[in-house]
Amino acid sequence: MQYHPQPTPGVARPWAFPAPERGALPNGLTVLRCHRPGQQVVAVEIFLDAPLDAEPEGFDGVATIMARALSEGTDKRSAEEFAAELERCGATLDAHADHPGVRVSLEVPVSRLAKALGLVAEALRAPAFSGSEIERLVGNRLDEIPHEQANPARRAAKQLAKELFPATARMSRPRQGTEETVRRIDAAAVRAFYDAHVRPSTATAVVVGDLTGVDVDALLAETVGDWSGDSAEPGQAPPVTADDRGRVVIVDRPGAVQTQLLIGRIGADRHDSVWPAQVLGTYCLGGTLTSRLDRVLREEKGYTYGVRAFAQVLRSTAPGTSSGRTGAAMLAISGSVDTESTGPALDDLWKVLRTLAAEGLTDAERETAVQNLVGVAPLKFETAASVAGTLADQVEQHLPDDYQAQLYARLAETGTVEATAAVVNAFPVDRLVTVLVGDASQIADPVRALGIGEVSVVSG
Amino acid sequence: MPMGHTATAQAGSGGRTATEHRLANGLRVVLSEDHLTPVAAVCLWYDVGSRHEVKGRTGLAHLFEHLMFQGSGQVKGNGHFELVQGAGGSLNGTTSFERTNYFEVMPTHQLELALWLEADRMGSLLAALDEESMENQRDVVKNERRQRYDNVPYGTAFEKLTALAYPEGHPYHHTPIGSMADLDAATLEDARTFFRTYYAPNNAVLSVVGDIDPQETLAWVEKYFGSIPAHDGKQPPRDGTLPGIIGEQLREVVHAEVPARALMAAYRLPHDGTRECDAADLALTVLGGGESSRLHNRLVRRDRTAVAAGFGLLRLSGAPSLGWLDVKTSGGVEVPEIEAAVDEELARFAAEGPTPEEMERAQAQLEREWLDRLATVEGRADELCRYAVLFGDPQLALTAVQRVLDVTAEEVQAAARACLRPDNRAVLVYEPIEVPAGGDADDAGAGTDTHEGAEQ
Repeated sequence: MQYHPQPTPGVARPWAFPAPERGALPNGLTVLRCHRPGQQVVAVEIFLDAPLDAEPEGFDGVATIMARALSEGTDKRSAEEFAAELERCGATLDAHADHPGVRVSLEVPVSRLAKALGLVAEALRAPAFSGSEIERLVGNRLDEIPHEQANPARRAAKQLAKELFPATARMSRPRQGTEETVRRIDAAAVRAFYDAHVRPSTATAVVVGDLTGVDVDALLAETVGDWSGDSAEPGQAPPVTADDRGRVVIVDRPGAVQTQLLIGRIGADRHDSVWPAQVLGTYCLGGTLTSRLDRVLREEKGYTYGVRAFAQVLRSTAPGTSSGRTGAAMLAISGSVDTESTGPALDDLWKVLRTLAAEGLTDAERETAVQNLVGVAPLKFETAASVAGTLADQVEQHLPDDYQAQLYARLAETGTVEATAAVVNAFPVDRLVTVLVGDASQIADPVRALGIGEVSVVSG
Repeated sequence: MPMGHTATAQAGSGGRTATEHRLANGLRVVLSEDHLTPVAAVCLWYDVGSRHEVKGRTGLAHLFEHLMFQGSGQVKGNGHFELVQGAGGSLNGTTSFERTNYFEVMPTHQLELALWLEADRMGSLLAALDEESMENQRDVVKNERRQRYDNVPYGTAFEKLTALAYPEGHPYHHTPIGSMADLDAATLEDARTFFRTYYAPNNAVLSVVGDIDPQETLAWVEKYFGSIPAHDGKQPPRDGTLPGIIGEQLREVVHAEVPARALMAAYRLPHDGTRECDAADLALTVLGGGESSRLHNRLVRRDRTAVAAGFGLLRLSGAPSLGWLDVKTSGGVEVPEIEAAVDEELARFAAEGPTPEEMERAQAQLEREWLDRLATVEGRADELCRYAVLFGDPQLALTAVQRVLDVTAEEVQAAARACLRPDNRAVLVYEPIEVPAGGDADDAGAGTDTHEGAEQ
């Protein structure tokens, strides 16, 4: 073939993260809407201020059962009828409970938006919460638990939460409850949680898609506008604290062919001015297969299919609403390595962290990271669902509507020195809790020899 | 020289069009304009998948896909990744039974870079391919196999069912990930031969979709790909056709460390690209798609014998497609109870056919899945390549929704009656070898599933 020199880029065409239009309905429901031409599948995200912290003592999982029960029948339809009607719209509806609150996510072709949103409104306004359906959901949830326990990545996440957070904190325990707590949940508990925490005045609906020819005001008035409820103050979030003394916990899985790694602690959330630098530095450490971790662990040594470093906000509130740090992100490194390579892989991982702390990032690394993180934005936000998801994240984290748009400008302004400082602070070698799900008889000794912290073994 | 024709908008395409062109070296090119977002997708399908592999070399097509990211004539080491990501783009490659695809999604002004990169590796991969990258990616792929299949409960079910459903010696008898022994046995010379045989412009389709100027794009394609020589060394894959039905019930019981009993089955279905396959898709959706399907209502809602129950469809063009049943049992429920209920529901459906409401629901669900697929430039580029490679006509991608909506209830019933019967399936039963200890678990998304570069 005839070789040609690498082409030079053309002129970048402008793109900005979409600015939503914010408003409120007479019933107090906050509404964000955003027109995205060409996106025929509309995404609706509804955020309910029903955080896991609000679950009554001993009833972990009631928020999850309530979220699932919203689509299991209303005052007008049985559970089967509701599901059938919704799917006749070509819609999908998911509801899940997490630390900040409950998220209800609808996706539907715009041609059937009115009907589907009417069903969602019915579910929010008048859920049936019948005893039989709640009993079924509880049984189903109990059946799911062993499947999650068997999954190495989920087992690791559960153990890390238990290690990091004090036993009294809701964050230390599984989001969807334990066998013991889920068993206690009945229709009365679900109804009580709904009555206490679900109302339009503390909820937000985000509507994104090609809204050409849609009378959004009329549509909202006829659907979620009909939902009524009293007013309430937003809940107060307790401070988040974590014990990140360096140590290793092995969850024993005799015979496992791989070891699942999850190495983490907590750190800054999006309200902290360090966030853009932390995003940049974390990308350089482990955002992709050409980042520092995979460059060694995957592309040089072949120990893994891929290891990633990331920051995931657990819960976040605007600063100053109470004393102490109320918001936090999980900062973590995760991946899996073959059993035999566990010791060598961790050794290399720690070497990567130490080298980063000693020598810092290079300007070229920082430049590539900025180009990628800023440049991929128009790709990442092509669909209505991705835009709606980010807008709803901003709502549940008490961020301004233009946060994501501003973030791109701040990333571009972040220098190499700041990004280095942020990532070194985020992943200090002596303040990381390491969870390994793997064969203890094979991996415990090599890991002890590394001196990365006291090693303990728990059963799988 | 490129030749093209102007396409007209077709029903069900959302007003989208695509044009087709062919370079002198045989490379087929499909272009589709859409200026709503300043991005462009480049997708390249090579007409080679695991069905082309020979005995003793399973997994080679996928291992080779990894090697395509290890540098080429003018691109050093991980340069494909570095250059695309540094330009604000994303990229990946995947391998299936029937094809291998590579794609880049770029901000519009970086489109030319993606074309240059794809052409460089199509034309000059062997200049960079060496033992070091072969050994490294062999280890990476073995860890991929462990992570995705060997170290997860039920992880090898797909491999086991496929091996049951397609007889020994059939090109689809093994899955794209391949066996550990064969991955170990693959040599650098195997990889070189594989490239020389299959990675030729006349064995590929390139699609470019999004915010593009078609004339300019075509000129770039000609410039970068035009001088890559054609090659005709490819042998067609072994024949994958099989009798319409299996004719007996195949069965395997697996005793393994799994959290619950499971009933899985693969039903032999019509080839992809036929109206009968679309009818079977609708039948499976009525029976086992979503939360209002017959099986979900029966097993999860009413009998409460299952945690989850559903059907999936693996569409294949070179062999019978597979209808995929997956039921995880609840508590101490035994498999025969589940199996009897499934058979009763399938027999009832074959006898009665779908209700008008069920047809409406299934068609609405499949329509939304298509709209989702076509909502991104990447999804559209991939579908245009798929129809061009497997069925010879990319325009079929733009009318696929309409074909699903045209299927009648009678055709759905006929598909169920013909295929969804006990003597046309391979069954896989899981029995746990020990009762797992009680416990709880978190669904915390503290992990990431994103592994650019090398997904199967």
